[in-house]
Amino acid sequence: MRRLSIFYSFLFAVATVISFSSCMESIDTSQIDDIDIAPAVEASLFYFESSEEIVNNDTGNTVYQNDFNFEAFSTEFFSERVIEGSITYVITNTTSKEFEYTIDFLDDAGMVLDSEFFSIQPAPSTVLRREIAYGPAGRDLDIIRNLSSIRVSAINLSGTTSTSSETDPKIILQSSGNFRVRLR
Amino acid sequence: MRASWLLFLATLMASTFAFGQNKQLLYDFSEIPQSLLINPATDVDFNWYTGIPALSGVSFYAGSSGVSAYDLLANDGVDINTKIREKLLRGMRINDELSGTVQMDILNFGWRGKNADYFYSAGAYIEADAIGYWFKDYATLAFDGNADTFRKFDLSHLKTRGSIVSVYHFGANKRISDELMIGARAKIYSGILDINSTKNEGFLQNTQGNNNLIRTTLEAELEMRTSGLNELRAAESEDLAGLITKRALFGGDLGVGIDVGMTYHINDQTVFTASLLDIGLMYHSSDPKNWTITGSASSEGVEIILPGALIDPDQDFYQELIDNIENLAPFDENLDSYLTFRPTKLNASWRYNFGEQVERTIDCNCGPYASGNNPPPKYVNAIGAQLYAINRPRGPQTALTAFYYRRFGNVGALKTTYTVDKFSRSNIGIGANIHAGPVNLYFMADNLLALRNVVDSQYASFQLGLNIISWDKK
Repeated sequence: MRRLSIFYSFLFAVATVISFSSCMESIDTSQIDDIDIAPAVEASLFYFESSEEIVNNDTGNTVYQNDFNFEAFSTEFFSERVIEGSITYVITNTTSKEFEYTIDFLDDAGMVLDSEFFSIQPAPSTVLRREIAYGPAGRDLDIIRNLSSIRVSAINLSGTTSTSSETDPKIILQSSGNFRVRLR
Repeated sequence: MRASWLLFLATLMASTFAFGQNKQLLYDFSEIPQSLLINPATDVDFNWYTGIPALSGVSFYAGSSGVSAYDLLANDGVDINTKIREKLLRGMRINDELSGTVQMDILNFGWRGKNADYFYSAGAYIEADAIGYWFKDYATLAFDGNADTFRKFDLSHLKTRGSIVSVYHFGANKRISDELMIGARAKIYSGILDINSTKNEGFLQNTQGNNNLIRTTLEAELEMRTSGLNELRAAESEDLAGLITKRALFGGDLGVGIDVGMTYHINDQTVFTASLLDIGLMYHSSDPKNWTITGSASSEGVEIILPGALIDPDQDFYQELIDNIENLAPFDENLDSYLTFRPTKLNASWRYNFGEQVERTIDCNCGPYASGNNPPPKYVNAIGAQLYAINRPRGPQTALTAFYYRRFGNVGALKTTYTVDKFSRSNIGIGANIHAGPVNLYFMADNLLALRNVVDSQYASFQLGLNIISWDKK
């Protein structure tokens, strides 16, 4: 009987200590609503390359003009979530030609949403780098959201006879996109 | 999305009231019948026992080894996104885990054989078990993205496994000699649900492009396997209970397993015990559905290179790019059956008994002229150490426990433990066992120091059970 008494006394003491020592610091579960998940994703967009030989073989001055499908931005997942971003163009010209490049962004009806014009001097010339912002700090984000195809126009302003002293002369257009998408 | 976060944080908070896979308080607590489920060779004295259905053994566990709910939700004026970056993205490592187990006895009963050296036990329980390691690079990709960095995002960081099974078991132990008891338990698993994605490899990385500005490379060997998920998702709410019952009663995946254990009295006062639980496997064939991404693809965007691009003015460069990537790293579904191994657990203990001897109540057919073995005496006090290990997807997870055990005649016993594991280095627990006539009630609580701020706990436990026990000698 004495053991039983000691046992229950001990249990009571433990329960009392636990009851009085336990507590819960203040937490605020409404903070969950403030969680912001908006990663920035980056990848190359399109690449255009032509050698000087190709340019010289072309009888007209339009080296290339074509629309190509580009629906990466108009997919529902991206267009509904994109909040800002930029497109970077880098043009390197090692040919003897002066070029005019125009990049048109078209919607699915073929309407031009945005255009970017580049005047490119013959070699030796510096690499032309241009970053176009979209969103609050730049052009209308709907341009990106509704982009369905891209028109690349390359015009040669220097005829078809000159040749560059560079090895393997080329005109190259590189581009990449860097966009933030809000996942939550 | 809010629901997902609530579930994640609720699991963190639930760790406050959790019971671990490591049942260090219950292990070798021979006055409690459920200790036989952790070591089938536990040296029990009962003539028979039966658990109260659904109350005889309910355990719940959830733990986070990296962060507590308080770390993220404290009302401290710090922006939660800052806390997520500091505590989760920068603070947690890939070996940190969020895991949980729920186990509930449906039936549990046992009886001593005609030969008193044998004790048998049987029953059924439902167990839900899940573990997810911190998918660090996936989380970093989700929060920060891949822009302005050439970081290699490791796709092997996704390692998760979860299952719900009903387990039907029959166990027996035998006193081989005065010193040695051995035991084993056969198990049949009836799988209700299984989800696992543990063998993932590969990476996603941006690098300097060969032609264009950036080259994005995906090398992936990713697999998510499920069984039962389709049926459960497709079931209407009124059919769900019936479907779960059907799958719990051998209508789902099937598997077999075994537990083995031993208790060895090195001398009258020193005891060594060990058990290996759930050495088993399951074949998931009832409703498998798996998803894979296997292959390697690199992209530098749409490429228009003259003169090739002039050949076909209608060439769809973008679609060709997409098709090419999908061919090189295809996303596939299949219905292949698969095999999984149960998470095997190891328990071992060394115990030193001392103090006053306690009269044993076992019907042992023992004594100077009996044929049976003489069970060693029991003592009022015991101290000892326990080792626990469980096989997890990132390798064994271990815990070390020191304990003190005190009997109060035949009316009750207390066990207190100090455990060190990946969840906590200050885990003090206490378990009490009370006998009131044939009624046995036990109560166990773990990680008591965490009760100072329960939401800041990363691991804790709480368990109680109710049994009817008979020590009557024939």
